[in-house]
Amino acid sequence: MNIVETFIAKAQENPARIVYPEASDSRIIQAAVKVQAQGIAHPILIGNADEVHALASELKLSLEGIEIVDSKTDPSLETYSQAYADKRDLREAIAKKLVRKPLSFGGMMVNQGVADGMVAGVATATSIVIQTATLTVGFQEGLSTPSSFFIMILPQFQGEQDKIFLFADSAVNIQPSAQQLAEIAIASGTNAKALLGIDPKIAFLSFSTQGSAGHADADKVIEALSIARQINPAFEMDGELQLDAAIIPSVAAKKVKESTVAGQANVLIFPDLDAGNIGYKLVQYMAHAKAIGPILQGFAKPVNDMSRGASVDDLIAVSAITSVQARG
Amino acid sequence: MSTLERIKNVAAELLKIESSRVLETSRFVEDLGADSMQSIELVAAFEEEFDIEMDEDAALAVKTVGDAVGFIDKVLAEG
Repeated sequence: MNIVETFIAKAQENPARIVYPEASDSRIIQAAVKVQAQGIAHPILIGNADEVHALASELKLSLEGIEIVDSKTDPSLETYSQAYADKRDLREAIAKKLVRKPLSFGGMMVNQGVADGMVAGVATATSIVIQTATLTVGFQEGLSTPSSFFIMILPQFQGEQDKIFLFADSAVNIQPSAQQLAEIAIASGTNAKALLGIDPKIAFLSFSTQGSAGHADADKVIEALSIARQINPAFEMDGELQLDAAIIPSVAAKKVKESTVAGQANVLIFPDLDAGNIGYKLVQYMAHAKAIGPILQGFAKPVNDMSRGASVDDLIAVSAITSVQARG
Repeated sequence: MSTLERIKNVAAELLKIESSRVLETSRFVEDLGADSMQSIELVAAFEEEFDIEMDEDAALAVKTVGDAVGFIDKVLAEG
């Protein structure tokens, strides 16, 4: 069973309610029908019911059992607008104009507990998906930074087959502060557990190992570790560590004293987006790893962003991931 | 009231600043302090004020108050 099949099987055990705000895209209809039929999630489509049914007919698909909500006329628009206006200290008329947009309405459905997660982005810029999720869904307790991670599956690593690592942040935060880096680590550790079922060993990566190179960039990583330990003392975390000291036991034995993470890290926190983005692509293309992501994290409930070129299979895989994240 | 005056008032209300600070040449982000989230809300606030709907991507690309006047007048004319 590959990892996507594993996510699908896990999602099927307890399917979550996932809202799709871009139901005017035929890929969303196709994915929702499959997600429903396979019991991966209970899909909720946002759009005009007549238009969505017409599109489904063109595709020769039945939407039986799939909820369709029109954000412009749904009775909940009033409640969601009021809740949004209160949350953001806005005039309700402005909130209503915002919340009637499908993406914001989907976010408010998640905020209000009517949906467990949202999958969007096939027709919307990533920045708008992230900002709208920030405004509507809000953040996981203790966090204030949206970020992303990749699941990296290495065919061979240190004699182990299909070794899984989680890399973060490789897609969203360009130059994270120490606070943001700490939050990226906490969110990543949470996902490693909830989504992958692995016991996270989190390494804060740097060009320096435990003070070997004195530099402000390494100091930022050290400060991030200290903040992360305050946010969640239960996670096993260490830093600053060079990559080899983080993942190779023999190097860790030489360079690092007393660490339960060094040499065994499975969650790698890159100091900035240069390192994170270049890092995942190096491993993907030069070590032939499978890269799954970017998966968004940090929100109070899962919101995932698709690329505009996403396929129906991509949507089904991300729906399964969202369902598992939601049920965590 | 002119489109410019209405835009100034809406921006001042949403960004919680004095309307006298909002000039035709003001940039929403750099001069008026709008963050990326407030930019999304500004689009909604303009839609509410002028009873229009705007393409979000295109509207978010508008940088100054003066450019917003041109953008909204065009949407109103296409009405």
